[in-house]
Amino acid sequence: MSFWGFLASVFQVDLLQGLSVTGKFFLHRKATIQYPDVKPVPADRFRGMFGFSEERCIVCHNCAKACPIEIIHIADHFEEIEVEGKKKKKKVLDRYDIDVKRCMFCGLCEEACPTEPVAIWLTTKSYESAAYERNERLYFDKKRLQNWDGVEPYPGVVTPEKGQMPNDPSGGAAGKAGEQKS
Amino acid sequence: MANPWIAFLVVPLVKIVVILVAVILLAAYLSFFERKILAYMQIRIGPNRVFPRGWLQPIADALKLFSKEDIVPTRAEKLVYLLSPVITTAPALVVFSVVPFASATTLFGLLKEPVTPYLTDINIGILFILGVSSVGVYGIILGGWSSNNKFSLMGGLRSAAQLVSYEVPMGFSVVAVLLMAGSLSLVKIVEAQKQAGVWFFLPGIVAFFIYFVCGVAETNRSPFDLPEAESELVAGFHTEYSGMKWAFYFLAEYANMVVISSVATVLFFGGWLRPFPNVAALAFLDVVPPFLWFAAKVGFFLFCYIWFRATFPRYRFDQLMALGWKVLLPVSLANVMAVGLGVLLMGGAR
Repeated sequence: MSFWGFLASVFQVDLLQGLSVTGKFFLHRKATIQYPDVKPVPADRFRGMFGFSEERCIVCHNCAKACPIEIIHIADHFEEIEVEGKKKKKKVLDRYDIDVKRCMFCGLCEEACPTEPVAIWLTTKSYESAAYERNERLYFDKKRLQNWDGVEPYPGVVTPEKGQMPNDPSGGAAGKAGEQKS
Repeated sequence: MANPWIAFLVVPLVKIVVILVAVILLAAYLSFFERKILAYMQIRIGPNRVFPRGWLQPIADALKLFSKEDIVPTRAEKLVYLLSPVITTAPALVVFSVVPFASATTLFGLLKEPVTPYLTDINIGILFILGVSSVGVYGIILGGWSSNNKFSLMGGLRSAAQLVSYEVPMGFSVVAVLLMAGSLSLVKIVEAQKQAGVWFFLPGIVAFFIYFVCGVAETNRSPFDLPEAESELVAGFHTEYSGMKWAFYFLAEYANMVVISSVATVLFFGGWLRPFPNVAALAFLDVVPPFLWFAAKVGFFLFCYIWFRATFPRYRFDQLMALGWKVLLPVSLANVMAVGLGVLLMGGAR
């Protein structure tokens, strides 16, 4: 052990270093966000409550297949419609349910969605979806996924029903600018 | 004070009530400050919800503890289980009877004759403090044993071993101060520091270091909190205690912290004296009342307690014993020799 090392061990320099670290943090700016009074600002790519667009959905089931915990439940049936005199079969969505209480917000459903823009997305910034009853209130059918009954949208964000678009940092507040394909 | 009833009954009773209430309130608020300071050192805010910015948090805690259910384990030794918190708490409060908070004062001219703002000054003050405060460990070990819980018993045993180990170097570090002061009375020790013109902290820096380390160990505080090590023993000796019984242990722990800090202030930091009490150039510091000097020093030590808790990890038990017997005891013995030699060469105790 060197002389300085010996001195450092006698005067317990390492303990003083530890004390100086905590002393510095004592005066540090606090990281706490006092939540109900101050709302945290999520990043643009923050994955929050689901947005869903029934008119863009082509009922391909890719999202349900991509979901690692299988919480997306889809049911459909075929309807015959006439397009330019020819009879065509078209898939119609009966049921599009997401069991949000079990969701881990991985975003794989959004990545699997083939439509442009995607029909299901999580970049909504809205995180206030807590409820007192989990089986009813945190199980979202296709209607509630669009009108967000029971979800408090992040300030400045509109519901999917009112024209929110995926990957839109303004959350649709800037009008329906995202209607055209980008 | 012609009437002996006033001098011998009313005045001491008033002092007792004031000191008890102050100590209990201080212990309660110390928990608040501890949570606040710990939170600040972890860049959090800490309790801030109960009315004005959390300042009534200790009151709310106390009310909660009063109204909690008092659970006694089925196979506990009921009487001992009941008595142990009292055995721990009473000495912690009794010790305050000899702590000198300030010099004689007229309370800014409110009283005709100056009163001494401490309960009594006995000529074996420091011995009294060491003796009485050591009784508290009986409450801890009996509480640990009577709970009929292995964690509690191990916590109590650890506490006993720890106290026995650290009482020795602490006693020797106090001896160094006694050699310098030439008295066991706490008031005389402070007055000796005034005569010497320097706090005993400077000539007795080694003694102070040993005293404070042992003080932290004696109060079972982090980094020596093995008797209640959460990660090993659930809550140590008070695992089975709840409600007001637990609150008594809690009160005793914090009161002991205040005792250790007060005694450190009196022995090493000049009690109620201002810095460099004989330097006339610093006389403007006398504007601050003596009690505030005392309170500020005690507050600093209490802050250090919490600072240590926020910083240091817990000692392992063998490390604890090694530190006590292999480092602190020889160093404190050598320190007694050195200080004694110094006092002898300087011409005896002042």
